[in-house]
Amino acid sequence: MSVEYEAVIGLETHIQLNTTTKIFCSCKADSWDDAPNSNICPVCTGLPGVLPVLNRKVVEKAVLLAAAMHAEIQVLSFFDRKNYFYPDLPKGYQISQYDHSLARRGYLELPIPASADPNGKGYVRAVHIHKLHIEEDAGKTKKERNRRYVDFNRCGVPLVEMVTEPDLRTAEEAGQYLIRLRQLLRWLGISEGDMEKGNLRCDANVSIREKGSSVLNTKTEIKNVNSIDAVKDAIQKEIERQIREVEKGHAIKPWTLDWDDNAGVLRMMRSKETEADYRYFHEPDLLPLEISAEWQADILEGLPELPLERRARFMRDLQIPEYDADILTADHDLADYFERTIGLYKGDVKKISNWLMNDVLRMRNEWGMSMSEMKLTPAYLAELVQLVDEGKINITTAKNLLPKIQESGKNPRTLVEELGLAVVSDDAAIRAICAKVVAQNPVEVKSYREGKETLIGWFVGQVMRELRGKADPKLTQQILKELLK
Amino acid sequence: MTNLVNCSALELAEMVRARQISAEEILDETLTRIVEVDGRPGALDTAPAVDDEKKVHAFITHTEELARSQAQEVDAKIAKGEDAGLLAGVPFTVKDIFCVRGTPSTAASRILANFTAPYTATPVERLIAAGGVMLGKVNLDEFTYGSSSESSAFQPSPRNPWDLSKVPGGSSGGSAAAVAAGEGALSLGTDTAGSIRQPAAFCGVVGMKPTYGRVSRYGLIAFGSSLDCPGPIARNVRDAALMLQVIAGADRADATAATQAVPDYLREIERGVKGMRIGLSPDYFRITFPDPQSGEYVEQALPAHMQEAVWKAAELYRSMGAEIIENVPMPNTRFGIPVYFVISRVEAASNLHRFDGVKYGYRTKQAVADLNEMYRRSRGEGFGPQPKLRILMGMYVSAAQYSEQYYQRALKVRTLIRHDFENAFDPQGPYRLDALLTPTTPTTAFGMADVYGDSVMMQYADQLTVPANHAGVPGISIPAGFSSDGLPIGIQLLGPDFSEAQLLRVARAYEMATEKEEWREKKPSLLEGK
Ligand SMILES: [Zn+2]
Repeated sequence: MSVEYEAVIGLETHIQLNTTTKIFCSCKADSWDDAPNSNICPVCTGLPGVLPVLNRKVVEKAVLLAAAMHAEIQVLSFFDRKNYFYPDLPKGYQISQYDHSLARRGYLELPIPASADPNGKGYVRAVHIHKLHIEEDAGKTKKERNRRYVDFNRCGVPLVEMVTEPDLRTAEEAGQYLIRLRQLLRWLGISEGDMEKGNLRCDANVSIREKGSSVLNTKTEIKNVNSIDAVKDAIQKEIERQIREVEKGHAIKPWTLDWDDNAGVLRMMRSKETEADYRYFHEPDLLPLEISAEWQADILEGLPELPLERRARFMRDLQIPEYDADILTADHDLADYFERTIGLYKGDVKKISNWLMNDVLRMRNEWGMSMSEMKLTPAYLAELVQLVDEGKINITTAKNLLPKIQESGKNPRTLVEELGLAVVSDDAAIRAICAKVVAQNPVEVKSYREGKETLIGWFVGQVMRELRGKADPKLTQQILKELLK
Repeated sequence: MTNLVNCSALELAEMVRARQISAEEILDETLTRIVEVDGRPGALDTAPAVDDEKKVHAFITHTEELARSQAQEVDAKIAKGEDAGLLAGVPFTVKDIFCVRGTPSTAASRILANFTAPYTATPVERLIAAGGVMLGKVNLDEFTYGSSSESSAFQPSPRNPWDLSKVPGGSSGGSAAAVAAGEGALSLGTDTAGSIRQPAAFCGVVGMKPTYGRVSRYGLIAFGSSLDCPGPIARNVRDAALMLQVIAGADRADATAATQAVPDYLREIERGVKGMRIGLSPDYFRITFPDPQSGEYVEQALPAHMQEAVWKAAELYRSMGAEIIENVPMPNTRFGIPVYFVISRVEAASNLHRFDGVKYGYRTKQAVADLNEMYRRSRGEGFGPQPKLRILMGMYVSAAQYSEQYYQRALKVRTLIRHDFENAFDPQGPYRLDALLTPTTPTTAFGMADVYGDSVMMQYADQLTVPANHAGVPGISIPAGFSSDGLPIGIQLLGPDFSEAQLLRVARAYEMATEKEEWREKKPSLLEGK
């Protein structure tokens, strides 16, 4: 009988915070699209004699994340020097946090959707956070024709390093974790969370064991993965490789593996037999980081209801399906928009959900704007759906109105009047058109009268065409049925 | 006419403000003095010359043009009736461990010989803003690593103006020698284990190590970041107070700079010591060190003349109404040096990482196969023996397998040393001292080349000064007479955190009480008749 294996996966993420300035100097933090070495100063290039001064905004954003991950925020934490030589590290040490980090022990209740569950049911995976700390980023180097170039722009860009316990069991779970983390970062407004741009980076530690066992076997570390799909792909391939090795009776070696995205393969970077000694010691140029109760309270005042909490509330209190709840809580703006709309709407909230998911979101994406920038406000959307409910306009008219509201910024009622889009529910007017349609289509009338009653839809369509869709459909059908008797 | 180069900074600034003399006139006279006494500045790869033994050689870089424009600016302000600052027209020098925009900032090392700083250190900026006139950058031990200034890569190294065959001390040797020889009234030094106080004592001038954080370290090329203190070197106590007044205070560029308000250091400086409690500790009258053979601690009493200078000062204070408290225990003084050997080297090794030949400073001229070879050769050729020793030891004691045994343990002992001071100064404690009076150094200035090469013995010369660096407390060394062979003797006053005003007052009291003494008339042999 063959052995069943399970994977044991831990993720080490580096999150680039979206502060205006760098962590220890006042240089611009974001250098995307900027020329190399254009956002640098004596401090972040490690000139002799300079000193770091901590940017409090970095602490505040990291504290928000720590709180959102339910981690224990430490009143006192320390900065440490991680000493090593590399050209992109101008001081020869990275200022990081080592044994007394900003926060410890957190968790994320990670929902795994049915689509990602081999059993098709969906489940929750508790992912524990070992520690969370803040540190500075290093620069970048590139090699060209036997020369090495250094760009210091990224030196001193603030990072949060967050390390999970080896709690994940499948590549799919790892992907879900990153999706939820990215959502959280954007939700909190602390990072763009974009793996392709490198403001969310992930290394994965992977080992395998017999299912049901609790041992931790030798792990490998996968580095240089630049998208969530690549993380899943790389982990899956590594799990399969390890299973093949073990089945062949080979031992897993503690390698560091480099993901080649183009080829879709892992390559061995180095054997990790000997650990580097970074000779950590407390950074004497910075005071211990003290987060007083007042400061923490101030920061946490800005902590919103978290996406997973809101998602759960939508499902529980509003009876919204999980699928809808996921989409509606994809970003904070959208969730707010939804809640404001249903607050103004007197009907089934599921209708609003449908409108948002089917029409409004598509329009937003086409127009490339955020929900809060839309002229189609929650009040207008509620009013529009209300108009449909009241039979003042039909659904086609309503859908056609969406871009018009967005373009004009006028409320739906006004637009309906101005454009003469109100449903024609005048019996005489509709009756005249119905009579005309019946008179003009003797063949269809005959068929209908001979029993092909499904043709009623076709007759309604003809009337609608004549009235450019404004006819009250119920009334039209009723009159047609009378005339066709 | 007054000899301007012998005037105090206070007198000079007063005369300039009163329009009795111009900043440029002071500068001209000072430049003449420098030409007379200083000789060639330190430089790389120089062959020794016989004439070198007759000069002070305080400088590495002269900044005459800069000084001229600063002096003219002061004179222009005075002419317009504007406030020219506390140091209006006062010439000063800067230890070449501080960055000053547009000037070579070498740390007396080959590895930084070609480095021109693009920014100015906070204390230097404050001196210039207060109307000071910067004469140049003065010599020191390479990266401040030493007690004689001889380890500079820029030779000839400074000599002691009182006896040119002796060292000026170190590492702020160029600073102390310059001030003693009338090459500027003030000098900005740094003190990591005694590097201001020891050369001040050797050169018969006043040197103060303020409380850690009292003066910003921004722009100071770091040695032991948790120990380094910039501070004043001057010819008298009031000038030191004046200079501290200018350089002290919070700095947004230094997170470790203290935010406490800076008091007026001159206001009560002459109010005497009546009612003060001044302590003496037996632990400061001897040197304790591990015997190289047995490893056991052995004690060696300080030479009699060093002890006598302290006892004499204590008697003077008693006569002025202070209470002298004897036998104050400072039992952890003996650990000052070993703890310093560990902590300062761990920090130093890390601080030296940035000198890698990549961005600035020296890079090997030899062909290299790869990055690591470039690092190795650049650092191997660029650093002198003292930085290399510190890197070796710093790397060793902070290695993962030894850190607990050395570095972490040293940090614990450091807090014990701090407790000695807290106990002595505790207002509710058994001693309740306002100041502790000690010798500054175990001996007077030693001969050139006497102990160079014997790094351990040189470091034990710091045993009486380094505890203040561990504890972070302020200390001042003031001249207290001469040995029979004509060399200056310094005495030291140590006080609790931020007690600079009080220490200066105690120091000034001694100065006033000994004003009329014969030894006060003595001048460095070099300056006889000048
Ligand atoms: Zn910068």
